[in-house]
Amino acid sequence: MTLRQAQGPELGTPIQGVTLYSFTRAFHGREYDLEGLIRKSAAEGFGPGLEIIGFSSFRGFPEIDDHYAGWFKDLIAETGLATTSLAVNADIGIHRDRLLTQDELLEYMRRQIAAAAKLGFPIARVQISITPDSMEALAPIAEEYGVTLALEVHADQYASHPRILALRDRYEQVGSPFLGFTMDWGATVSGFAPSLIEAYRRRGASEELLNAVTGLWDDFYRQGPPVDQADHGQRFGRFIALAAQHGRPDLGIDLGINATGLFGPARVDDWLEIFPWIRHVHGKFFGIDEQHEEPSVPVPDLIRLLVQNGYNGAISSEYEGWHWNSWQSPFDIIRDEQAVQRSAAADAGSRMTTDLAEARAQLAAWLPTTQGASA
Amino acid sequence: MIPDRIIEQGTLTTDGTRAAVEVRLPWYRALPASCIAGAKLSVDGVEAPAESLRWQMNGRTFTFPELVPNTEEWWFPTDSAVLSGDVPVAEDGEHTVAVELVLYIPYIVIGADEVLHIEEKDSKTMTAKKAVAA
Repeated sequence: MTLRQAQGPELGTPIQGVTLYSFTRAFHGREYDLEGLIRKSAAEGFGPGLEIIGFSSFRGFPEIDDHYAGWFKDLIAETGLATTSLAVNADIGIHRDRLLTQDELLEYMRRQIAAAAKLGFPIARVQISITPDSMEALAPIAEEYGVTLALEVHADQYASHPRILALRDRYEQVGSPFLGFTMDWGATVSGFAPSLIEAYRRRGASEELLNAVTGLWDDFYRQGPPVDQADHGQRFGRFIALAAQHGRPDLGIDLGINATGLFGPARVDDWLEIFPWIRHVHGKFFGIDEQHEEPSVPVPDLIRLLVQNGYNGAISSEYEGWHWNSWQSPFDIIRDEQAVQRSAAADAGSRMTTDLAEARAQLAAWLPTTQGASA
Repeated sequence: MIPDRIIEQGTLTTDGTRAAVEVRLPWYRALPASCIAGAKLSVDGVEAPAESLRWQMNGRTFTFPELVPNTEEWWFPTDSAVLSGDVPVAEDGEHTVAVELVLYIPYIVIGADEVLHIEEKDSKTMTAKKAVAA
């Protein structure tokens, strides 16, 4: 295992940023369109980094015509943001009767990687459904477009999971600087989100059930992440059973999905397994409490890990609590979480990069090329 | 997921024999027609026969079997689709509309050759407007 060791004087300065995914509820509810959300993010100082999910925000994605790309890049320039990552999807089940062949998948991904380059994103976030073989085959396409592919390590498939280690080992063999990982903090959560408990309370769940849910999650946290998919499935079943035992079988699947699919119980230093390949970060979190702290994601520890190991890429603050939290403003929540990140970086002896010019220069040095970002 | 927004409040229309309602995608990203795997529509507890259901999206109307092979038409997250079917609805008074949706999530692989599908439902009470249903 190759680890980038902490090097005292060379502390990292992660670039502050946000993903528009955090504002899904406002966009879906037609309170803001894409332009409105970008302008709002800039005006609130959530940047300079900006991440967008292609299939969420761009109508007709991945087809992007020249006129639209020009409009988008002008908007980014005007608002003073830096496009960091375009989240793309490997829709291998798009045909109902069969999965995509390898050739079809590569073509499907090529179109999205081309869209990332055309819109000026230097990174495409890809997902675990892409195998090591497919990532190897995609490397020349990534190089052709100057776009780094950063596969997301998410929730139950944590950094030392066999599937992630298989990808890491393949990256090492292939040796392309255009292959890496997106670290998603959802894999290293330390508690069941209190805001989700509150959402279940509002749906009439008893205090006994809610106490049992947090207790079971804490048990699994002590045991560490599931060793394989079978273990994961068993944990899923335990939450379903718990809901049934407490007279709320209707909440069972929802509980199972959230408890095992969103709150990954790996430890923060598990990230060291893949650290040298981390190119982008999803600062996944679920809420902010009355003390303005994130109660279930160890943000200060994660920032310290990144800073001490010289991470100079972007962190997209990724608020996931919108699924259930309809009573608080996502914009206030993002503002508070980014304040936690900045103070954590200061406590770790460094800082977050919030200046646009500095962020651009830093990304250019961090990635093999930002050709995508200037295409 | 945003299942509480599936049914657009106040969009029930009827021509006396058919009913139609606007529905929203309870998911964060666009999905192709092929991933819209099924729907149920009922008004005041009366369910429209499956073969009578129609799905209108991007200005075109589809039967559910027609959606299956279609990977060209996409349901964008801020767009309403219109679900209609054979259900007699009186024009006066309030009606309880219920919609169930089955959606395939094409990138979440859960088995050797299987992707996740989700089943979401919503129910809302509203009056009906007279209109020629699709």
